Amino acid sequence: MSAGDKWLDRSAGPVVRPYALTGGRTAPAGGEVLDLIAVVVATRQVTGGRDGLSPEHRRILRLCQRPVTVADVASDTALPVGVVRVLLSDLTQEGWITVLPQRPADEQPSADLLKEVLHGLRAL
Amino acid sequence: MGSAPSDGAAQSPLAAFKILIAGGFGAGKTTLVGAVSEVRPLHTEEALTSASVGHDDLRGVGSKTTTTVAMDFGRITISGQVVLYLFGTPGQERFWFMWDELSYGALGAVVLADTRRLGDCFPSVDYFERRQVPFVVAINCFDDAARYDPEDVRVALDLGPRVPMLLCDARQRGSAKEVLITLVEHVLASRPHEGPGAVVPA
Ligand SMILES: Nc1nc2c(ncn2[C@@H]2O[C@H](COP(=O)(O)OP(=O)(O)OP(=O)(O)O)[C@@H](O)[C@H]2O)c(=O)[nH]1
Ligand SMILES: [Mg+2]
Repeated sequence: MSAGDKWLDRSAGPVVRPYALTGGRTAPAGGEVLDLIAVVVATRQVTGGRDGLSPEHRRILRLCQRPVTVADVASDTALPVGVVRVLLSDLTQEGWITVLPQRPADEQPSADLLKEVLHGLRAL
Repeated sequence: MGSAPSDGAAQSPLAAFKILIAGGFGAGKTTLVGAVSEVRPLHTEEALTSASVGHDDLRGVGSKTTTTVAMDFGRITISGQVVLYLFGTPGQERFWFMWDELSYGALGAVVLADTRRLGDCFPSVDYFERRQVPFVVAINCFDDAARYDPEDVRVALDLGPRVPMLLCDARQRGSAKEVLITLVEHVLASRPHEGPGAVVPA
């Protein structure tokens, strides 16, 4: 019986070391913690060359060929959000991807955009 | 890139909105997300810090050790450019750190109220009021619960007159949809009016 077992409850998964994929780093390289719905997009194509990218970096980069949110990347790769943030920041630092500007958190979305959302919800 | 700025919305190739689904234990959060959105797997890490486990228990455990926690997460694609993301807010106290992150920049929140345990949704109501996150209260109609007049629930929750309240059945797509529509209408109606001399109703 491992030391971790007694901490588990029905909402927690197994005690794991997801940060093995980031070489143990738990904080993003640039220090900036991306929001769950921050949108990222690749600035260039994945190449086959010696670019220092890990297989996880490449997987993420492929997903970023179109604008995607951090949450979608985490969901599509089945990697925990914190791990995805670290890997995305590596890619940002190396210029592979860029974070698209977000509406400031204290700024309301435009009425037109909200009406579009309403229209879409009604049509569901 | 390089295109001249036109109107704000067209600038961004993807407008993503966060909507939080909150409420007490068993209030129907997972059910509502599943009824109205495309549910997707999402895991986040919870560090095993002394805050989440007894202090002494940490001995011998590397600081990088975490547990992964599954979150309620769903997508509603409005158009190629507009996507709503629903996030269930985990109820247990040790997950409260996630609420700040989830509520940051959120469009709004749904508080699911179970009238058999109305007190369970007080913390969510308090939280969104304090953070000034627009929210609606959806009273979940559990089969064995007595029917309440929403206005009685409003009094019990000490809610202002402008917070929308509605009855819902989180299992029904149409009902869950109505809850989200009510929320977005509320967000739209509470928007400060634009332009000089506009008066924001008190
Ligand atoms: N009658 C009725 N039952 C509901 C409704 N919403 C949820 N339920 C049932 O209530 C139970 C709990 O619902 P969940 O969606 O798991 O609640 P939850 O808020 O995610 O619960 P936790 O994540 O454990 O806090 C399930 O068995 C649902 O089928 C509703 O509107 N009406
Ligand atoms: Mg649940």
